[in-house]
Amino acid sequence: MDQKLEAIKSQYQTKIAEIKTDKELESLRIELFGRNGLINDLFSKIKEIPNENKKQYGADLNQLKTELEQSLLSQNVSKTEISKLEIRNSFFSLPKVGHLHPITQTERQLNEVFRKLGFSIYNSPEIVTDEFNFTRLNVPKNHPARDMQDSIYIKEPEYLLRTQTSAIEAYLLAQKNKDLPIRTAFPGSVFRNEKVNRSNHFIFHQYQAVVVDKNITIKDLVGTMDLMFKTLYGPDVIVRYRSKYYPEVAPGVGPDMQCFNCQGKGCPLCKYAGWIEMGGSGMIHPKVLEMAGIDPKVWSGFAFGMGLDRWTMAQKNIKDIRTLMGGNLAYKTNEL
Amino acid sequence: MKIIYSQLKKFLPDLHSDYKKLRDDLTMIGHFTNFFEEIDNEIVFDLDIKVNRGDCLGYYGLARDLSVFYNTKLISPFYQREMSEGQRDLDIKVTTDNVKRVMATKISDLKNNNSPQWLQTFLKCHNTNSINTIVDLTNYIMFLYGIPNHAFDTTKSGENLIWEMNSKFKEFTSLDGSKLNINNDILMINSPDKALSLSFWGGESCAINLDTTETIIEVAVYDRGTVRQNSRQLKSVTEASVRLEKDLDPELVPQAFNHLVNLILENCGGQISSQIFDYYPNKLKIPQIEFDPNKASLVSGIEIPNDFSLDCLTRLGSTIYNLKSKISVTPPSIRKDISIEADLIEEVVRFWGYQKIPTDQPLSFKKTTDITPKEIYLIESLKDQLTKFAYDEILSWPLVTTPTNEKTVITTENSINSEAIYLRQSLIPSLKQQLDQYERFKLPPTQFFEIAKIFYKEGDNFIEKNALGIYNYDSKQLIDDLQKLNLPNNIIDNNFAEIIIDDLPKPDKYIPENKNNNATELTSQIITLDANIILDSKEDPIELIEKYSQVIGPEILWKLIITDIYQDKKINKYRYTFQASYFNTDDKTAKKIHLQAFELE
Repeated sequence: MDQKLEAIKSQYQTKIAEIKTDKELESLRIELFGRNGLINDLFSKIKEIPNENKKQYGADLNQLKTELEQSLLSQNVSKTEISKLEIRNSFFSLPKVGHLHPITQTERQLNEVFRKLGFSIYNSPEIVTDEFNFTRLNVPKNHPARDMQDSIYIKEPEYLLRTQTSAIEAYLLAQKNKDLPIRTAFPGSVFRNEKVNRSNHFIFHQYQAVVVDKNITIKDLVGTMDLMFKTLYGPDVIVRYRSKYYPEVAPGVGPDMQCFNCQGKGCPLCKYAGWIEMGGSGMIHPKVLEMAGIDPKVWSGFAFGMGLDRWTMAQKNIKDIRTLMGGNLAYKTNEL
Repeated sequence: MKIIYSQLKKFLPDLHSDYKKLRDDLTMIGHFTNFFEEIDNEIVFDLDIKVNRGDCLGYYGLARDLSVFYNTKLISPFYQREMSEGQRDLDIKVTTDNVKRVMATKISDLKNNNSPQWLQTFLKCHNTNSINTIVDLTNYIMFLYGIPNHAFDTTKSGENLIWEMNSKFKEFTSLDGSKLNINNDILMINSPDKALSLSFWGGESCAINLDTTETIIEVAVYDRGTVRQNSRQLKSVTEASVRLEKDLDPELVPQAFNHLVNLILENCGGQISSQIFDYYPNKLKIPQIEFDPNKASLVSGIEIPNDFSLDCLTRLGSTIYNLKSKISVTPPSIRKDISIEADLIEEVVRFWGYQKIPTDQPLSFKKTTDITPKEIYLIESLKDQLTKFAYDEILSWPLVTTPTNEKTVITTENSINSEAIYLRQSLIPSLKQQLDQYERFKLPPTQFFEIAKIFYKEGDNFIEKNALGIYNYDSKQLIDDLQKLNLPNNIIDNNFAEIIIDDLPKPDKYIPENKNNNATELTSQIITLDANIILDSKEDPIELIEKYSQVIGPEILWKLIITDIYQDKKINKYRYTFQASYFNTDDKTAKKIHLQAFELE
């Protein structure tokens, strides 16, 4: 630590040790950490430090601040007095509350909707075999659909990080094929071999729902999906459903939301289409059911999924996808 | 893929949709159309073609789809003109099973030249450079039918062409001069002493130029897996590879071939100087699919007339058989994506229109077995508790730069993010990184947590477990919070803790009881009463509400809220004002329970 800072630390630790009453404690707290206190003063002088020493000085100053804070709190005055100090400090602002991550908040919102419809929440491993990520989803080896997803392999070609929440569906159908009917929803992380930058990441968050029952129809699928979109985007959202290909479903259905930026007129955000693709869905392919040991002549089902990251970013006005994962995401404190 | 409106109209002369409607209709039937633009007075659409619809990587396949959708006539552009063959056999050999069909012939006495304006404009709209007439016509036919083809200058290549898996050559130079290292797994067209062409990319050694006077033209369909593998192995993607790695129709090869040869003869003169070579060892087997027309209604959930289903499949080019009250359908050979009944149903529903299916009828509640794993309830509960204790949730990268334990770390094989190739074995390094980040932003002292997977190897097995990582600037508070949550005291570096959630007991108490049992029959008016309680210290309002809710009991308590918190500074006490609402009881009983619960008697 910088010598000057070391001296300050020593000087104030002595003062802290001599504190006898909470009044003295409070007075010293203000002297050190008040708006015009010593610590803020030292931070304001950082600009005077030569460039080559600035980084070290900043780290030392942070260390001094933390150590003095801890010394203040651990000072040997009665517990009641410390408690009073903490209460008084916080009394001028609203109590501090913790926050769920925005992705978790969105997942919770959706879990609540689906639980009300009798859905269970499910999960499965993130390291998967090629069989569960592709083959059981009707994507055999060398199928061009594999190009839709660049995989991160642990041990090519057998083990990889799951590229889609449909891999959870493959596990679910295999493990619960005797527990029919099933209604499940699952949030999950998925991985793609993408360079990390402002708009791309190797990890995404998806939300998927799967139903297997008798006489399930596309009408059930689009009605339930529409409910999900209305939950997230409000009752006025306009969604259209169209033909779309995914190997694990037939027929495949693609939901598009009318562009919220241009109300369908066409703009750069929606590439002038007026619509934004919102994910994929469809009736579970008979081969997928067969591979899971479920008779497609008796049982049918639907599956749908959507990404959560873009929606969460739009909702929180986050411009850089890296912020969501270990980046600059922080929460305002003292709100209720 | 780009589509020029005027070219599409050559297949569909009765097409009258305006551009915007056509764009939307194409999208609705599965060909997502991003936008249209004007290039050299032509309207050009930009489409995303589905990976299972190789047929739509050409105008012909796409026009077939639109003719069914608009119920309009499709004009076949096929040249019916007989080609007068030469006498000589071509010396062509095919030595690999990866060739499904190839047609070829030699054309001599050509006068190659620069392409006519219409052809140059066509290619410009397809983002393809014009080279010369012969080359441009091969590309034109590829865009028209979706079937790639190739022209060899025989003065450079010779006439002795061999379709083979490469065994002789180490290097191949493509038309654009790129040098590629090739091995034995590459499907090629070679002469006995020269590497001439990949299956999906022509070679420099036999390139057509303006001086070319004789050529061998070939149109071929290959095993798509081999082309895909070759393209990936050589890291080369071309317009041809994109098409050849799809399931293309070998039955379409003669039409494309005939059209190409005739266009070359028309534009460059010359004559066919060999016999037509047609290698087609295994004729395509088209499936016969049993089809119940009622299924379109049963699967869609709306009424779709059987007549429509059968008419739609017929217009698509299918042959329909009625055999002993059962209907079977043979789809057209170009539709390689149709192989089972579900595919036929999809065709019917897509042409009937998804927009006709109501969207206001979601599934209603149905009680099914709750198969939610217990750890999910535990994780949800922990997250709720931690946020109540003022911890913020963060998420961090599961791939990290440094292993925690080199012996058990799982390493990714092909991550393009070279700085992060290990799967994390602990959440603590990520939490420390987050803390650094917060300190850089001078965030006031903070406390946060992450619940996520950690990974490690155990022998040959890959293990993953749910873990909780937690940080508090106040180490004493951290210990206290862990204690309150009944979590083990796994403190690391004073202010951090890591707990493996999967190793914790998962008591059933975390599972919410009967989630749909909120309905209540009201038998009397709701009675609302206030209560002030004085406390020596500040308490968590949520804990107080939980405490008094339990004291009063759910049989009688309708709602309990705290409406006011006041600190009396003179006596240093806190006054909490509660508002309790009681149901299905009378005034007197409610008051008695109220006074007892809040100890106001």
